Amino acid sequence: MGPQGNPETAGIRNVGRTVVFARPAEAELASRADWPDEALMLAIASRDELAFAVLYDRYVDLVYSASFRILADAGLAEDTSQDVFVRLWRRPEAFIADRGRFLSWLMSVTRNRAVDELRARGRRRRREGGPLGEPDEAAEPLFATHPPDPQSTAELHEEQLAVRTALRDLPGEQKTALELAYFGGFTQQEIAARLHEPLGTVKTRIRLGMQKLRKSLEVRG
Amino acid sequence: MTGEHITQEQADEFAIGSLEPASEHAVTVHLAECPACRDIVRDSERLAARFAMSSPLRRPPSHLKDRVLAAAGIRRPGPLRRVAGYARTAAGIAAVFVAVAAFTGMVWMRGEMSGLRDDDERLQRKIDEALSQEVEIAALTRKLDDQEKEAARLADAATGDQDLIVALLSNNTRIADVVPAAEDSTSIGRLVWDGDQKRVWFVASDLPQRPAGETYQLWVNSGGKYYSLGTFAADPDGFARHQTIVPEGITSYDTAVVTIERAGGSPIRQGPTVFLVYDLSRLKD
Repeated sequence: MGPQGNPETAGIRNVGRTVVFARPAEAELASRADWPDEALMLAIASRDELAFAVLYDRYVDLVYSASFRILADAGLAEDTSQDVFVRLWRRPEAFIADRGRFLSWLMSVTRNRAVDELRARGRRRRREGGPLGEPDEAAEPLFATHPPDPQSTAELHEEQLAVRTALRDLPGEQKTALELAYFGGFTQQEIAARLHEPLGTVKTRIRLGMQKLRKSLEVRG
Repeated sequence: MTGEHITQEQADEFAIGSLEPASEHAVTVHLAECPACRDIVRDSERLAARFAMSSPLRRPPSHLKDRVLAAAGIRRPGPLRRVAGYARTAAGIAAVFVAVAAFTGMVWMRGEMSGLRDDDERLQRKIDEALSQEVEIAALTRKLDDQEKEAARLADAATGDQDLIVALLSNNTRIADVVPAAEDSTSIGRLVWDGDQKRVWFVASDLPQRPAGETYQLWVNSGGKYYSLGTFAADPDGFARHQTIVPEGITSYDTAVVTIERAGGSPIRQGPTVFLVYDLSRLKD
């Protein structure tokens, strides 16, 4: 520990002493589709190309959909999705296994990449399906999924349902403020200017919205 | 902010991305030094990340997988000549970049050498004219020595530039943003970690020169321990470039800092922090 306090150490390279994943047995190597995300990431760290392909199939729709929602441009969403997955392949150690779920990390990386792209291009997106904050429920699913692992897909669907339900329970102005920040890449002052509301009002909406969302998702597990 | 811990409200605002740049900077600097607040922010970021899952699902085009696999170098796309075209274009751009850099370096070096030759000729004429004036001869000889040293320094710098270009083109190189600890600082910097060449570069601009008795010192934290990567100084224009070898046994780092230490460097990190590298604490690649 340095005199000013050292950041904690963690990472896949330290996984042996921080987190222990059950490595799938030899007999299961042929069916990586059953592996949990963290096991796939361990395999990817060992340059397992099949594991990468399984992880791609599992989450490309989510990554692409989130990128599209932020960028409102199919080409840019493709570029962002490619960037996210290629970096995942090249630097799997960036995912710190004992700091949270893989899916949360992946979504966070995707959002940051897409918002960086949005800001870099200096343009504001055209919102998918109209004004902010209302994901088009009727549009989902836009396709019939053919996932490799029904169990993980069911869990994913449950998670999406929980998040959407939690968002639906939020007052509209709180949801709008949260989505303008998260999907629009706007700061509080920019949101206040866009909504013609005082800055304090926007801060309150974001604070209350996050509180309610946290409570709601905790209740739903 | 540096001395105060982050509130849940600030953590939520940071995670949702709604903080103004100055506030975000202050939070980032604090997080680099405060594990407790990092835990709070990570919890908020996990919550914020679930927003992304509320988006209506869209299926990406089928060719995206081939693009991704090709870009990752996992397999060559068969029918997707477009991707191959992109790769060739990228390779071409890289080649052009290297060629332009090399040509620019050659032109620059040629100019420098030509200038040095001109200086030498002028110097020689002056020496011939001042043979009887030993004091002047000594002064001019010293000037020639200085120019030769400068030429050697420029040659070393050119070699260092080539190494840096190689590092920047490597897939195994991490380039990290460097955050100044002082909010009003205009200094900017980058930490380049080249796993292939086992070398590290720290470059910065707008960096104030330290008074006599003080120096900048670069540290990396690996496995919970800080390792010194040497000392360096800024030039009169505020530019600093420090190149060193990755210490034996270290393959990566978690964080890095630049501190002000006494001249000659300190065996342990103890001086005030000038820069922080922050790329693992936040859930951001």
